[in-house]
Amino acid sequence: MAVFQLPEWAALAPALILAGTALVLFLFDSINPRSTNRPLLAGTAVAGSLASLAVAVWFTAAGVGATGIENYGVVDVMNGQFIVDRLALYFMIIISIVTALVAVASYDYLRDHTYQAEYYSLVVLAATGMSMIAASNSLVTIFIALELTSLPSYALVAILKDNRGSVEAGLKYFLIGALSSAIFVYGISLVYGATGSLQLEAIAANLGAAGEMGGLLGLGILMLVGGVAFKTASVPFHFWAPEAYEGAPAPISAFLSSASKAAGFVLAFRVFTTAFPLEATTAVIGVDWTVAFVILAIVTMTLGNFAAATQENVKRMLAYSSIGHAGYVLIGLAALSTEAGDLVMGAAMMHLLVYGFMNTGAFLFVALAEYWGVGPTFADYNGLSKQAPFASAAMAVFMFSLAGVPPFGGFWSKYLLYTETVNAAADNTVLLVLAAALVVNSALSLYYYSRLVKALWIEEPILDRDRLTQPTGLYAAIIAAAVMTVVILPAFDPIATAALEAAAAVVG
Amino acid sequence: MTVDVQYYVLLSMAVFCIGLFGVLTRRNALLFLMSVELMLNAANINLIAFSFYHGNLTGQLFALFTMALAAAEVAVGLGIILVLYRNFRDIDVTVPTTMRW
Repeated sequence: MAVFQLPEWAALAPALILAGTALVLFLFDSINPRSTNRPLLAGTAVAGSLASLAVAVWFTAAGVGATGIENYGVVDVMNGQFIVDRLALYFMIIISIVTALVAVASYDYLRDHTYQAEYYSLVVLAATGMSMIAASNSLVTIFIALELTSLPSYALVAILKDNRGSVEAGLKYFLIGALSSAIFVYGISLVYGATGSLQLEAIAANLGAAGEMGGLLGLGILMLVGGVAFKTASVPFHFWAPEAYEGAPAPISAFLSSASKAAGFVLAFRVFTTAFPLEATTAVIGVDWTVAFVILAIVTMTLGNFAAATQENVKRMLAYSSIGHAGYVLIGLAALSTEAGDLVMGAAMMHLLVYGFMNTGAFLFVALAEYWGVGPTFADYNGLSKQAPFASAAMAVFMFSLAGVPPFGGFWSKYLLYTETVNAAADNTVLLVLAAALVVNSALSLYYYSRLVKALWIEEPILDRDRLTQPTGLYAAIIAAAVMTVVILPAFDPIATAALEAAAAVVG
Repeated sequence: MTVDVQYYVLLSMAVFCIGLFGVLTRRNALLFLMSVELMLNAANINLIAFSFYHGNLTGQLFALFTMALAAAEVAVGLGIILVLYRNFRDIDVTVPTTMRW
């Protein structure tokens, strides 16, 4: 035990630090909205997210959320409205890492932007919302945190106000986001109607009393699935993703496709395991909700990968590939009907962490290409390795890791996901179909990922380029992400342990 | 005299469906925004009716939060519609097609 006892709310420190950083940036913005002191502004955002990361790692190491007499146990904040357990801390770590990488890369990418301070404060505010989602334990706090994530994200996608693509992307993201949050909140109201409470454990306790309102409860759960599908860019609310990612500034695409997706998944993991335990819910609504996730997982990964294979635009290809990866992670929810469900979910979380590095890195390479003025298609990327060998090598690492080629991080997390799904299939043979879909889609994805690597390293450039500059921030972020994608291999054991503990916090 | 809770649910579902219909058919971004507001308010009707039905205040409290968030969402939405108008000289949501669907 510690010498002195911190108050309970201090357990939310990773999110509170981000909120404080956002307010400090607001203060800078109110003093001088046109400040172009980029080192100060980007530095504040990076320092805030690194501090949040450090505290989350420290809490994990100190045993917050772990059981046992020498540890702190799960911390309950505000009468169960928030909860800080292994799951919350694990996702807070992912989110703060991605935020730090994005803030570092934005230093160069947004060098000509007029309103610097508002950009960074919106990024950090959205990150605050994501961290809060990870710790939310009631549908009220979940919805508020979800909106705290979404509203700054809409503004960030449309932040290049004179760029038609950016505005169009912002509009489409906003329209579909507003629709899905309306559906989500209607779903919450139906769940409240059937159970009479909004706190997740209380919902689970009152499921039996729903009685004749079972139909309403089922409809409510279906609508919650819709809200989750939007946040994670899964079918049927996936079609905003290619538009929003293509039009948005590339660091924001990285932010949305990695951190926002992780936040959507932690929301799904917590709500569906805590509030709607499988047997009790099936008894009331008469349908096993994992079936919905089995279907969504297969459709999402297949659609994402097939659409990615037909793209000529690199950013759009990455957007569809991120839909495909959402499908892989959905297996974690689909497998909950089996005994080994917690292991599959742990593997899915592991994949989300690795994905946080490799996907962010890939989008940041696109940001670097846009910074150089390279065009959007595969052909425009031809021969970039001659001018920028380091960045191109890093991009090759990201691409092979996303495809799941050994020895990179993406291979290990996908391999773990595959083996755990096959093991779990002993209870439910439907999971074999999921495992097969995972393998087939990964094989397909190798085609379009390696196409980009071929363009970078083998093809000859179409037209001669001038010497390319080496922006420090973007390079630092890309190299850091690449190094982490490779270093995960020796550090695999502690990360896998952390992911499995996170899954065990909500399952079983 | 009290009204049974199922009538409130019917009312809210009707409002929700009107909103959904508006979202799917209207091309004007402002009408789209209003339709989404209808859907959010349908949820509020539910929350308040069920709050009365269950005899706790959780639902009413959440309805207050929903209203505040709906207002914030409209603020951001109007900002985006404003830059849309500046760039495309139109607020028809089908006009911006610089990227193919």
